Amino acid sequence: MSQNIAYDVALVGASPSNLTLAHRLVDLAQGPIRIAILEKGKSVGAHLLSGAVSNPRVLNKVFPNWKEDETFPLEGICKESYVTFMGAEKVEDAPRFAVPPHFKKEGYAILSVSDLAAWMADRLTEKAAAKEGVVVDIYPTFPAKEIIYKGDAVVGVRVDSTGDNAKDILHAKVTVFGDKGFVSRDLCDKFALRKNPQVWGVGVKEIWETEESYEGKVWHTAGYPAQPGLYGGGFIYGCKHNKLIVGYVCALDNDNPNLEPPQLLQDLKKSPWVQKMLKGGKLMRYGAAVLPEGGYYSLPEKFAVAGAMMVGDALGTLDIKRFSGVDKAMESGWIAAEVIADALAKGDTSEAALAPYKAKVMDSFIGKELFEARYFKQTFHTYPEILNDAFPAFAAGVDAGRGLFGGALAFGLSGPFRALKLLGARGMMENPSDRGAVAYKEDRTYPNPAYKKPEGAKAEGYDRKTVFTTADIVYYAHTHYEEGVQHIDEFDKNVCYSCINRYEGAGKRPPCVGDCTAEVHEVMEINGKRTHKMAFENCVQCTTCEIVCPPKNLRVNAAPYGSGPDFSNM
Amino acid sequence: MSGYKMVVLMKQVPDTSSKAGVNPDGTVDRARAKRMMNPFDKYALQKALEVKKAHGGEITVVSMGPPPALEIVVEALEYGADKGILLSDKRLAASDTLSTAYALHMVVKHVGKVDMVFTGLQTTDGDTAQTGPQIAERLDMPQVTYLEKLEVKDGVATMQRVVEGGHQTLEVPLPCLVTVANSAARLEPKRFADVFAVKELIRDKAAYDKKVTILDLDVVGANPDRAGLKGSPTVVGKTWKMGEIGGSCTMFEGGNAKDEVAELVGKLTADHGAILEEVLP
Repeated sequence: MSQNIAYDVALVGASPSNLTLAHRLVDLAQGPIRIAILEKGKSVGAHLLSGAVSNPRVLNKVFPNWKEDETFPLEGICKESYVTFMGAEKVEDAPRFAVPPHFKKEGYAILSVSDLAAWMADRLTEKAAAKEGVVVDIYPTFPAKEIIYKGDAVVGVRVDSTGDNAKDILHAKVTVFGDKGFVSRDLCDKFALRKNPQVWGVGVKEIWETEESYEGKVWHTAGYPAQPGLYGGGFIYGCKHNKLIVGYVCALDNDNPNLEPPQLLQDLKKSPWVQKMLKGGKLMRYGAAVLPEGGYYSLPEKFAVAGAMMVGDALGTLDIKRFSGVDKAMESGWIAAEVIADALAKGDTSEAALAPYKAKVMDSFIGKELFEARYFKQTFHTYPEILNDAFPAFAAGVDAGRGLFGGALAFGLSGPFRALKLLGARGMMENPSDRGAVAYKEDRTYPNPAYKKPEGAKAEGYDRKTVFTTADIVYYAHTHYEEGVQHIDEFDKNVCYSCINRYEGAGKRPPCVGDCTAEVHEVMEINGKRTHKMAFENCVQCTTCEIVCPPKNLRVNAAPYGSGPDFSNM
Repeated sequence: MSGYKMVVLMKQVPDTSSKAGVNPDGTVDRARAKRMMNPFDKYALQKALEVKKAHGGEITVVSMGPPPALEIVVEALEYGADKGILLSDKRLAASDTLSTAYALHMVVKHVGKVDMVFTGLQTTDGDTAQTGPQIAERLDMPQVTYLEKLEVKDGVATMQRVVEGGHQTLEVPLPCLVTVANSAARLEPKRFADVFAVKELIRDKAAYDKKVTILDLDVVGANPDRAGLKGSPTVVGKTWKMGEIGGSCTMFEGGNAKDEVAELVGKLTADHGAILEEVLP
């Protein structure tokens, strides 16, 4: 029998969180250490996508010289940031005094998280090679398939399926999950770690090459193209070399079963304001990813169990109030590394030995800021007037030339009591007093077949070459699948039949179809039956379909052989 | 030794999915270009792996190129090859197929007695499909091109090759050289344990040096005058662009299908009416 494949630490996912962890662990290493990094993408970064305008506070710690390093993949430094209210025709920037401090992004780094991870991996390999006894092995195209336990302790993950455990299992003293739930959801389920479910948003993003340069300019938008009731907003970031990032993010806890995220982004681009920026430009890339939006109240009961920890999006450190994901993810890796170094030094990776991780995270800026932002998302559920009435009134005000102030005034006059209530909403978001714990409902409980989409304003006169059908735009995600890869499980055909029946009966498409970011899901007539079908080769692996599937009948697995999108530069 | 001794010839080529390193004149700056294993060679490696799986044996991967080409030699080990040789020598620069075949056949001779040599159909950078057959001639081996399937028994290989309009089955005595068609079986994905083993191998210098070697012309006994630019009579007269994929797109926005089709027919008639008159009765 051959020997087991064994490392001290196994990192699931070459994410910024796990790569920060590895860097820190190598820095802290006093003697030999072996680290393995599993990555499902064909290369590090291939499956990573983010905005991203990021506070460089952790970057500064891990790479003190990143600003001077010519190899660092910096897209730009934010010089001007705006919160912009969009009507279908006109837009207006919120006055600076009214913009909450956490929306002011000046000095932040504009990053491609995909390129950042690739760069971090290269630096890591160099760093490890220069340190005696330190081994860091990165395994692109090899996702973790299954968690391996011994009793209640995690002892590694299954990577391959030759049938010989000695060849298939990666053994480790500590396994760290930095994935977006592909595997870590099984850990949470096994130990019932989340009292409250994670709730998700989905982001779609395009990169354009434009005639004009908008380098250093950052816009976050509200209003158009969101229909009343939609929690969503756009982002436009100007980068070096005339690159312009245009994206849209919306929450998935929404009644509308057919959100069509890529088309929301197309609608955003139809705005005359965005049209002006895109004029003469060329679409370069497209991609999509989900964001764990639950924050404080979605955090698991334990951040570590015997032999395993969670970092970044697996843990749920993203702060939707501050749009702060990358820095908090990296910080969680930084902290995890210190706990792991201690545990390995003591030769004890039990649950008790890893437990200080949670206290340290909650004591860091992650815990403090997530606590302070704990009611932000819930505010929009507590005060549905914000999205149903106030934002549409502001947008109408902008379009009618009365301005944001005029819109706000009109909204106030139409119902002074309602307007007063919204002052309470602002308090809940910005300076919350204690209201007790929030209970989230799973995203999949929201899509409602009877949902009626309110009529919203439509942008007119746009250049049709700047907008794309979802089928066309997927081309720009550069997906490639090895022959025969079918990475999404449909558990029960009959469950799909009845779901299709329920939604199509009400004139809608089922949520897997209506919320898909890449035209993977469709309903086809087969033998007289409306049947769920999937075009796997389109999939960008965002997992939205699994999240919104009302009967919980789908599971998106990490695809093997590096199959999936190419998100480099995204 | 049981099983068959096999050599697979492989080349590192510019990554065709990347535009990096393509000069404005259409030539390739190999230092800046992203690199990859020639996709055609993967079919050759798969065939050798199949023979090894069925009968045992040893696969030596041979490549020629600048030092970075070692990447594909090591990658071939991850796929299951046993040994790797890179022929790397500055005097090989600017080789055409004549001098490449000369140099590579010297490496195969250097390896010793081999039963089978596998090559890809062609490379994605040169696209000549000449090197494989030339090497067979120099080694004085029977050659089979466009191979799809292969079975070996008692020193005779039964092969199926693609020919225009169908297939041809041949029996060939070993040793022989085959160039493998890209309609043959695809290279099976790497196994985790194999990749792990290669990573461990790279850290064990003594073991690594036994498996992976970099050779120069002198070691394989090749005449430098017949290699590289000196040994290459081929002259590239001129390269030019054949045009790029893409072009302009005209949207017909008549509002309804009938008007849009009428508009399209009108435009086609106006732009290409003369041709239409010629071809239509």
